[in-house]
Amino acid sequence: MLRIFHNTTYDFIRWWRTAAALTIAFIVIGLGSFAVTGGVNWSIEFTGGTLIQLKFAKPADAAEIRAVVDGAGIGGAEIQQFGSNTEFTVRARGENAADARTGVAGGAVREGVERALKAKYGDGVKVVRSGSVGPKVGAELSRGAFIAMLLGSLITLVYLAIRFEWRFGLAAVLSTAHDILVTLAFIKLFHFEVSLTVVAAILTLLGYSMNDTIIIFDRVRENVKKGRKSNFYDLLNESVNETLPRSILTHTTTLAATLALLIFAGEVIRPFAWVMFFGIFIATFSSIYVASPLLMWIENKWPRTDGAGRPTTQASRNPAASGAQRPSRQPAGAGR
Amino acid sequence: MTNLRSRILLIVGLLLASAFALFPRTVVERVKRGDGFVLDTTRKVPIKLGLDLQGGMHLAMEIDESKGTVANKSEALDRALKVVRTRIDEFGVSEPVVQKEGTDRIIVELPGIDDRQRAQDVVQKSAFLQFQITDKTQALEKALPRLDQILKEKGAALAAIVPGAKTDSGAGTSSPIAGLFGKDTSKKGADSARKLAKGDTGTKDTTNAALTGTQGGPLSKLLAPGQMPGEFYVKAADAPTVQRYLELPEIVNALPPGKMIRWGADTTSLGTEAYRLFYLVDARPIITGEYLKDAKPNTVPVEGTVVEFTLDNEGGRKFKSETSKHIRDYMAIVLDDKVMGRPPIIQSAIGTRGQITMGNRDLQAAQDLALVLRAGALPVPLKIVETREIGASLGADSIHAGITAGVIAVVLIVTIMIGYYRFSGALAVAALVLYIIYTMAVLAGFSAVLTLPGIAGMVLSLGIAVDANVLIFERIREELDRGKTVRMAIDEGFNHAISAIVDTSAVTILTAAVLYQYGTGPVRGFAVTLIAGIVASVFTAIFVTRTFYLLWLNRSAGTAQTLSI
Repeated sequence: MLRIFHNTTYDFIRWWRTAAALTIAFIVIGLGSFAVTGGVNWSIEFTGGTLIQLKFAKPADAAEIRAVVDGAGIGGAEIQQFGSNTEFTVRARGENAADARTGVAGGAVREGVERALKAKYGDGVKVVRSGSVGPKVGAELSRGAFIAMLLGSLITLVYLAIRFEWRFGLAAVLSTAHDILVTLAFIKLFHFEVSLTVVAAILTLLGYSMNDTIIIFDRVRENVKKGRKSNFYDLLNESVNETLPRSILTHTTTLAATLALLIFAGEVIRPFAWVMFFGIFIATFSSIYVASPLLMWIENKWPRTDGAGRPTTQASRNPAASGAQRPSRQPAGAGR
Repeated sequence: MTNLRSRILLIVGLLLASAFALFPRTVVERVKRGDGFVLDTTRKVPIKLGLDLQGGMHLAMEIDESKGTVANKSEALDRALKVVRTRIDEFGVSEPVVQKEGTDRIIVELPGIDDRQRAQDVVQKSAFLQFQITDKTQALEKALPRLDQILKEKGAALAAIVPGAKTDSGAGTSSPIAGLFGKDTSKKGADSARKLAKGDTGTKDTTNAALTGTQGGPLSKLLAPGQMPGEFYVKAADAPTVQRYLELPEIVNALPPGKMIRWGADTTSLGTEAYRLFYLVDARPIITGEYLKDAKPNTVPVEGTVVEFTLDNEGGRKFKSETSKHIRDYMAIVLDDKVMGRPPIIQSAIGTRGQITMGNRDLQAAQDLALVLRAGALPVPLKIVETREIGASLGADSIHAGITAGVIAVVLIVTIMIGYYRFSGALAVAALVLYIIYTMAVLAGFSAVLTLPGIAGMVLSLGIAVDANVLIFERIREELDRGKTVRMAIDEGFNHAISAIVDTSAVTILTAAVLYQYGTGPVRGFAVTLIAGIVASVFTAIFVTRTFYLLWLNRSAGTAQTLSI
């Protein structure tokens, strides 16, 4: 049989300091840029405003379109190429969004842009997609997205606390929070527009990253039950190594699917695919280098005890301290 | 053995159920139409495409309180919802969605519609019909000096609030305002009134005399009398200014008692100049649209496009008695505060029938008006707070791109699985085929709507679906390494992998459920496909793949010493 990473004995946990330094640096740079240049690039779904996607018969030029749109009296609109050079998006945010005169959110903006462009390009331009969101709806959506993130984390924490044990749950949630922070930093640094689909990608990552951590922790739980190794450091390493082939293979298939989306599914899905693509790497990285060391740290801080109050596992690598240790009889999983 | 048979039965049964759910068919169902239920034959498509895939319009509306607050919003919204639904049902779109979202919003989805303006009109038009008698006592002419006086007094304050009256000397838009505050241009207004009177051949009547005396005033110089009592012409360019003046509270208060101003819906041209018309009418309508029984569009020789309406018996009686009191008067037909066409003269008492002239608009406009009149007036004005509009071609492109991505993802995954796990990988791929069918069936079963993010969710869950298989296979390999027999290793592998599979799936379903709760439209589609995908993946990985193994073990009748994994 074809095997990769079989019976490995890498000392993953040893690198946790380096890993921590790297990831903290990334987060600091990302979040620092939030402080310097303001928040992320929210889509009009959140800020309120109008988005118009145009398709030209012939390749067009963004500067030229900008001149036309400015001429229509819609100042400060963003013009962006959308995939090929015959497709462009026009975004007008904020105050242009609601239009009292027409009673339609963004109606005047859309009408104005279309009229001005038709005047210049005639039938050579077509509005293929448009959307307008009033400021109130935008505010509601951002609140919804925020609540969804928070609630998502909370619910998984509760689930893990029930299914595993609070130490595992805490480590998993902290590591997932880390993933979300890193992904946000990534979105910020690469100027991805945060639309509802990107929020969906982040929430999917929340689940995915949790998956990965659960797979490793499930193995840890099992190994703790077996009680073969009394020191937690080795036990963690062993669990990570044992699950390594699975991790590699699953990430390969998921990455393959994401890559297909990234390349073939078109411009609308691309930001989603990028976030997923990056997030899968982060989830893999964090389940090994963040979640496991975190679990060790938590075990160190609040060691588990058996009925008599003696520690059942030893977080330290020093075997001298665990000399008199007997195998744990206490199941690590609280649920089963 | 019986165990295995029941397993296979279950899988095949589900497969048949899925095929049934996925097979497009024609069904006869009870559909609510008009007053009662009727049997209707519709073609059921297994999975509906979202607006982003088939193209169409999405509108979200709220009660517009900019013109006065609404007391019982929730009840008003329910009534508005009913009216909008009736209108949309008659609009002729297949499978429209009209529903309440939250407590204060109405969602309308119109697949395949790309005439945005028309759809908005049909949805948003209040369709409040009134018949009002135009003034014939020259009340406005008499009140004009007083109104001019008020405007002069308010002059300074006005300058501050009128937009465009700022000191920008460039654009010619501010000319009416300049005319108001710069004394020298007042002549221009008088000229225009005179010019108009000239163009207005042969219809000069006594109203002209009344007007000439007041031509210098800020309001009166912008007006010219029309061809019938109570009618006034305003140059199209001046119309916004006049409109603003007439809406000032002081002016409204100073209008003749029991009278009000109604603007005409159309612009008229006289010579080279375009004019708007307004009318002074009795504030009390003689009748409103609530008695309307039917309305239909028509084209008639003289008036062009019209909407013919029929009143019910009660309305007919009321209309008859009112109109008989107003013989030789002019009656303005007012729709949503705008006078439709020129007010006709009442020749004799009118019964249950009448018509609204549509000016120069086409038959479709008449059809739409007839439609909204039949459906009844909106109880409250609605404002559109969100629109999404996707062209059909973009939707088709998205489907194409989504399918391409899906096929390529499948090919990649199949290659990886078979390349790495060989025979077992092939079993997993067979399970994956069932997985795809089951997922689609679950989606069809919940009548979910497939959106572009939904396709992405499906492609993604393909990748995640094999995860369960990978977990099991790796576990089986470990058990084989420990020297267990093939049958034992398979059993142990499944048993040990289940806890991790259940936990990971539960967590993903929980986050997807949160997404569903807080997401809208396309994102909901994504959450639904993700959930359906995970449920199907757990079933296929744990149950179907295992059945395949059992089948294989059975056939080899205990001789299987090695497993290709």
